[in-house]
Amino acid sequence: MSAEKGTRIGGAGGFWGDQTMAPIQLLEEGDLQYLTMDYLSEVTMSIMHKQLKRNKKAGWATDLQDWLIAGGITLLHSSGVKLVTNAGGANPLSCASMVLAAAAKIGWNDCQIALVLGDDISEKLGSFAEDGHQFKHMFDAGQGSLLDHSDAVISANAYLGAGPIGRALERGADIVITGRVADASLIVGCLLHSNGWAKRAEQQDLPLCGPIADWHNGTKAQALDIIAGWTVAGHLIECGAQVSGGNSSDWMDLKNLENVGYPIAEIFSDGTSIISKPKHSSGAVTCRTVSEQLLYEIGDPTAYITPDCVVDLSNTTLQQVGANQVLVSASKGFEQTKTLKISASHKDGWMVAAELLVPGPNARKKAEHVDEILRSRLMHLRKMDIHAEFLGAQALTPPGLRNMMLEPSEIVIRWTATSENKNDLSEFSRSIAPLVLTGPAGICGYSARTRPREILRFFPTILERNLIEQHVQIKQIQSRRHQMESKRPWLGEWVFDPLENIVETNKGRIKTRVAGRILDKLSKPEEVREHG
Amino acid sequence: MVKQTITLGQLVHSRSGDKGNHVNIALICHKKEWLPLLQKTITPEILANWFEGWSDGPFEVFPVAGVGAVNCMIHNVLQGGGTVAKRLDAQGKAIGQVVLDAEIVIDSKLAKEVGFLIPVSQ
Repeated sequence: MSAEKGTRIGGAGGFWGDQTMAPIQLLEEGDLQYLTMDYLSEVTMSIMHKQLKRNKKAGWATDLQDWLIAGGITLLHSSGVKLVTNAGGANPLSCASMVLAAAAKIGWNDCQIALVLGDDISEKLGSFAEDGHQFKHMFDAGQGSLLDHSDAVISANAYLGAGPIGRALERGADIVITGRVADASLIVGCLLHSNGWAKRAEQQDLPLCGPIADWHNGTKAQALDIIAGWTVAGHLIECGAQVSGGNSSDWMDLKNLENVGYPIAEIFSDGTSIISKPKHSSGAVTCRTVSEQLLYEIGDPTAYITPDCVVDLSNTTLQQVGANQVLVSASKGFEQTKTLKISASHKDGWMVAAELLVPGPNARKKAEHVDEILRSRLMHLRKMDIHAEFLGAQALTPPGLRNMMLEPSEIVIRWTATSENKNDLSEFSRSIAPLVLTGPAGICGYSARTRPREILRFFPTILERNLIEQHVQIKQIQSRRHQMESKRPWLGEWVFDPLENIVETNKGRIKTRVAGRILDKLSKPEEVREHG
Repeated sequence: MVKQTITLGQLVHSRSGDKGNHVNIALICHKKEWLPLLQKTITPEILANWFEGWSDGPFEVFPVAGVGAVNCMIHNVLQGGGTVAKRLDAQGKAIGQVVLDAEIVIDSKLAKEVGFLIPVSQ
């Protein structure tokens, strides 16, 4: 770390459903240049694709709309902080339409929104298959190929990297909306812009999909270590408050999580960073909280693979350099992989869960008996599989660590049943309540008959990187003149300006008038809000 | 070897999470210098014992010297992964905490060498 001032980036959320107003706190107090929001977990994309299939304007993270309308868009406009988010999910275009509508409403008429597209390869699976691509399961050979389930595929999205984000920001985007961009790459994309790498790439006409190590003016080894450091900083703040006191083993000492601060990373050109949080927030940023997040969802720590590089964080060091300030350094980077991870999902039958509360004495024995009764009554449903957990009796503890001598005073039995046949599960649900009157004494806690939900099985696979065509599109609000001429006045002031539509792919740059096509996909603002 | 029994939580703090059908458990020493003691204690074999009935492995233990930790990978433990798992903790978020109560046997001599003092009570 040098004496330079780093790039200040906020991490305002860890998933779709995190505290909605966290970005407001960061915008007000963070002294930020960029605000990043990661909304996508492994399972989120499949849920969004399912929503999109039901409603062509849905399939993006609606939480974004809530905080933009609650004042976020005004703060972005007045502060000049750039927003970079993968809220677009399965439908970045509809998400961007909503954001433009919010900008128009506060009179931010020159707001430029960039879309990063190309991650969704679901429509192309067939043609890739014809070319001989196998789409085998990444971890489990027994799962075969995604193509075995081709009729049931719900989604297939490549994890894109930081390159297109850097390019979008370089082109002047105020807000960047992406689909499945890797979590940490949202942050690395900002750094490509603030450190001049994206400018250099543009001047030298380097492809927007990278390798971004070529965008640096030093040696490749230096570039990779810097990217690794930036990626680690991104990884640390992309789960929101999990680095600043949330989900911490030290919860007993913190005791102030009601106003937990979301993280800020000040990230330097050499790859080091300082993790902190807003002054007037609680929680804590210590080597302990940061180390827990450093290893969160990590496999081999010497080979943490992202679209931008492979990181060795086994020797990454942490140092408390001030109150709630931790310096992160010494991450090592290696060349990006030739393939990108594909996050796919397919339908795989039905699932339902139900619960009952069983009191003591002899709670364990009684719960086992209730479970036996239920299973005997449903024995004729041969395709159904039932799993029972005894909550309160070490259900969360791995079997080898359980102490069976502990007798709980009561147990919640939680059953989860799966079947390829939805009707089996309806019968299962109907069989729970009768246990209250027809089972052992004292059973209570029945809430309501539960409905089966369709299972979406996550299927990770890979595809050669160069086959995935990535795009950046810049959009802004239509000029006043355009609105007047519009034949569809309800589109009002938030139609994309066709003349400002720059489409760029990793194969070159084209300016195009695609407004007609995009207009067809737009809706009235009211209709969009319906799905919020 | 003179042995002593402690709970894992006396040696480390932790966090766990999912990677598809796998769970990773980061066990981070309260003091970085204790890492050799942790490494000697937490082995793939001990993980196999703990998780017998939930996973047939493989079990991996990676050292993370920078922060004084080991990262444990428990493969194929989530009944197929987050969206299909039947257990309530479908993403393995609780596992990292519940293992802190596990009783582990440590080598007293090594404990002394790395400066690990057994707390009187916890």
